[in-house]
Amino acid sequence: MAWIAERRRQSRFEAVVLPHLDAGYALARWLTRNDADAADVVQEACLRAFRYFDSYRDGDAKSWLLKIVRRTCYDWLEHNRPAEVVPLEVDGDPEGAVHGSPVGTVDADALLQSRSDLRRLDGLIEELPAQLREAIVLRELHELDYRQISDVTGVPIGTVMSRLHRARAALRRAWDGKGVG
Amino acid sequence: MGCDEVHPRLDAYLDGELAETERRPLRDHLQSCPDCGPEAAALERLREGIRRSAPVYRAPDALRSQIRFALRREAAASAPAALPHASRWLAYAASLLLAVAIGSGGTFVFLGERQTDPVASEILDNHLRSLLGTHLTDVASSDQHTVKPWFAGRTDLSPPAVDLAVEGFPLVGGRLELIAGKPVPALVYKRREHVINLFVLPASRSDRGETLTRHGYNLRHWDEGDLGFWAVTDASPTDLAEFERQFRAATKS
Repeated sequence: MAWIAERRRQSRFEAVVLPHLDAGYALARWLTRNDADAADVVQEACLRAFRYFDSYRDGDAKSWLLKIVRRTCYDWLEHNRPAEVVPLEVDGDPEGAVHGSPVGTVDADALLQSRSDLRRLDGLIEELPAQLREAIVLRELHELDYRQISDVTGVPIGTVMSRLHRARAALRRAWDGKGVG
Repeated sequence: MGCDEVHPRLDAYLDGELAETERRPLRDHLQSCPDCGPEAAALERLREGIRRSAPVYRAPDALRSQIRFALRREAAASAPAALPHASRWLAYAASLLLAVAIGSGGTFVFLGERQTDPVASEILDNHLRSLLGTHLTDVASSDQHTVKPWFAGRTDLSPPAVDLAVEGFPLVGGRLELIAGKPVPALVYKRREHVINLFVLPASRSDRGETLTRHGYNLRHWDEGDLGFWAVTDASPTDLAEFERQFRAATKS
């Protein structure tokens, strides 16, 4: 019966994907910076994931879910807060980023410095541009490796490296400047 | 390895992403270089600071059950509904003969599955699942003023959630179930150690006042106003009939 097949598919989905719900929620929470929006996005992402579940091949379920959560977050942000998802001006060039990417780093710095009330690193992370923020969150908090971050965010490993570097450089400048952690 | 080679590799080094052949010379450099050593230490401090100060976000329990519920609705919506026009009662009676799974080893036996009414099947399926799993209630309370409002906004049907503890059927809570693709309330009662699941659907006009029994599970269905009630339990048929009588008496005011 069709509904039994659907039930089975649903049970399998719940067993494979839902163990990573906390990780998905955390990513959505960092990207939307809001509990209620994160919950909405994660629910939508889970439904999308369920629809795409036939395309999931046994493997890295966590990265697979995070990728869909991230995509759903960006769709949501583009619709609700388009200003937050402007593309980074310098991207995809790790050497350039490391050795002098004035525009991108200045943007991140400006964002961080403009908030003099920020005293803690988590607040500083929240103020990073979304693409740098997600790189830091996926690396430091989700503990993904570069290949997984590249997979989740859909950019080459070189770009992952440059984003991480820029995020850390901006955080360090802002953090050192305030001398508080 | 010189500083100009170390600098662009520092992040990858600290992230454990460098090949061993690059790792070793870089490590040697950091131990001896007065610039790069402190730089690496500062990055390491930043990492510790991030991990220490960042809140750990976890999916709220309410979100988890909402998602489970939404998935069930999605799963039901994508499965074509069987027998939309068939006599629900006949189909339901047939389904009891056919689709009960039970007792011994939890093996599901399906015979002539085409004749199974999804509504009755789902009620039994839901009942069994509620007994097997940990998900007996979404809202655990014997207080009708807690249980009844919990359903508001979650389903169009507003169940009369009366506590029948005095009559021997204490209300233990409620949960949302998915029957025929729609969210419906299920009230959970107990009769001594037995669970009675009471599903509330729109009235079906197929109220026959009988108890059907298969493999130790008893099911009664009755209509009251606009609502149809389906009570499933492994308590005795006598207890179930008594439950229906007490429930109807308490809700008819």
